[in-house]
Amino acid sequence: MEVPSRHRPLLLLAAVIVSQILLLAFQIKRDSHVRLIRVWSVELLTPLQRGGTFVISKIEGAWFGYLDLRDARAENRKLTAELDQLRLQNQQLQSQAAQDVRLARLLGFRSENAGIPMLAAEVIGANADPNSQTVFINRGTSDGIRHNMPVITPDGVVGRIFEAYPHTSQVLLISDRESALGALLSGTRTHGVVEGTGGPLLSLDYVSKHEDIPIGATVLTSGEDRIFPKDLPVGTIVSAKPDFPFQAIRLNPAAHLNRLEEVLVLLTQKPFPLRPENEAQSSRRNSKALAGRQTAYASPAAHPVAPPAPERSLASTKPKPKTKSPIPPSAKKPRALAPPSLPKSSGAASAARAPIQQPGSQKVSPAKPQKAPAAKTSQTLPSKPQQNPQGNPHK
Amino acid sequence: MTTLRMDSQSQHIEVHKFYSGAVIGVCFLALVLQAFLNRFSVRFQILELPLLVVVYFGLSRRNSVTGLLLGTAVGLLQDGIAHTPIGLYGIAKGFIGYISSSIGARLDTEHPISRLILMFFFFHIHQILIALVMRLLLSQHEPFFSIHLLTASLINSVLGVFLFAGLDRLRKQ
Repeated sequence: MEVPSRHRPLLLLAAVIVSQILLLAFQIKRDSHVRLIRVWSVELLTPLQRGGTFVISKIEGAWFGYLDLRDARAENRKLTAELDQLRLQNQQLQSQAAQDVRLARLLGFRSENAGIPMLAAEVIGANADPNSQTVFINRGTSDGIRHNMPVITPDGVVGRIFEAYPHTSQVLLISDRESALGALLSGTRTHGVVEGTGGPLLSLDYVSKHEDIPIGATVLTSGEDRIFPKDLPVGTIVSAKPDFPFQAIRLNPAAHLNRLEEVLVLLTQKPFPLRPENEAQSSRRNSKALAGRQTAYASPAAHPVAPPAPERSLASTKPKPKTKSPIPPSAKKPRALAPPSLPKSSGAASAARAPIQQPGSQKVSPAKPQKAPAAKTSQTLPSKPQQNPQGNPHK
Repeated sequence: MTTLRMDSQSQHIEVHKFYSGAVIGVCFLALVLQAFLNRFSVRFQILELPLLVVVYFGLSRRNSVTGLLLGTAVGLLQDGIAHTPIGLYGIAKGFIGYISSSIGARLDTEHPISRLILMFFFFHIHQILIALVMRLLLSQHEPFFSIHLLTASLINSVLGVFLFAGLDRLRKQ
């Protein structure tokens, strides 16, 4: 291209000035000790590189995203299968992790109560009858499991051994209609009987309407049923409505009865050490409770069941609620003990007195717990323990 | 004084030629004096002898290419002795040489008043170029205009009138 002669001086001027500017840029260094000409070069070329990269990435995206999809379907199928497999593995791992947590809690509980013989068991099945709240565990008589042994978790009471087979056992949950156990309020030491309702909540019966029942209070085992050791958590009060002559009290089970997986079978009825949160309340109320008991024990007629012996045998008696209720204690027994208004069978009443030997040392009771009809037709308190040695201690 | 007249339909240009070596000698002398005088007093820093020489030869030769190259060469030499980045004065004086030779072909540059005025404006254009380059490339705040610069421009303009009259004697007859 030929430049017109009149423009040549101007062109030369531009060339000279530009060359000198470049010369200056070669000498000048900015703050970062980089020559100005290098800065200019980078700033001149970087946008071009950025633009080129952008264009190439778009072309690649269009090619691989829209045009080159020959193996996409097969790869998608393969990845989907792989994803399903990974999800399954993830679920298994999560389940295993949850199981580890539960087992760690069980182990911690056992370590805390090392002096109390107990046996860990796994829940392997439930009852097909929707009206019956029972589960099966993978321990049986060959493991030392005996009838009426208490079953717990670190959270609280679960139930008791209902049937013991050589390698499995059936556990009657405390939520079953047939179940009942002696209980007391952790704060006031008010005694009562916890019975199953067949639903998610339990019922605390035979508590006088004059008793002040705080919502949220913890209910513990009283040990008077001769099955469950004393001071095991049973549940927390969720509602208390006045009724005559007793209050209608509902409580939420402490143990997660609807998702049991591992449980502990207590091989003794030795009382558990009080937990710290219960210990303070218990000691504060202890003198008052003892005074109440001494008053109650002063009348033999009012307490046909003897006070618990220091070392009790399993299923030796039914729970004996102790309350300040105006109703005599004989009327405050669980359903197995039959309220005064209901007839009571002697078999159920005396079942608790059937001796069950401690594992390895005592005889196994041949008694089988009787279900509701027999229990609810019982008429009297177990004032005569020999009346029916094969009854259900609870019902 | 030799005057080449280039008559055409639109313009009348007089181009002056100088004795051999006069241009180079005057330029070197101006640079040496510029450096030499500054050693004795800072007051001499107000003088811009290389600029006066470039303007004079640009106006006289009336060839923009020659004026550009002469101004660039003088400016680069001045950069070399002034410890400024090479090209700072080269750009400014090259541009001044270019426009002075271009203006010299269109205006009467022989009258002392016109020389005074032209020198005044060229000095300030030169200073603006210097400040522009220093601001853009060196990130230094050099003023475009100040009283000191105004004084310097007046002094150099007056000096230029006398210097140009003396340099006229170097022209070929």
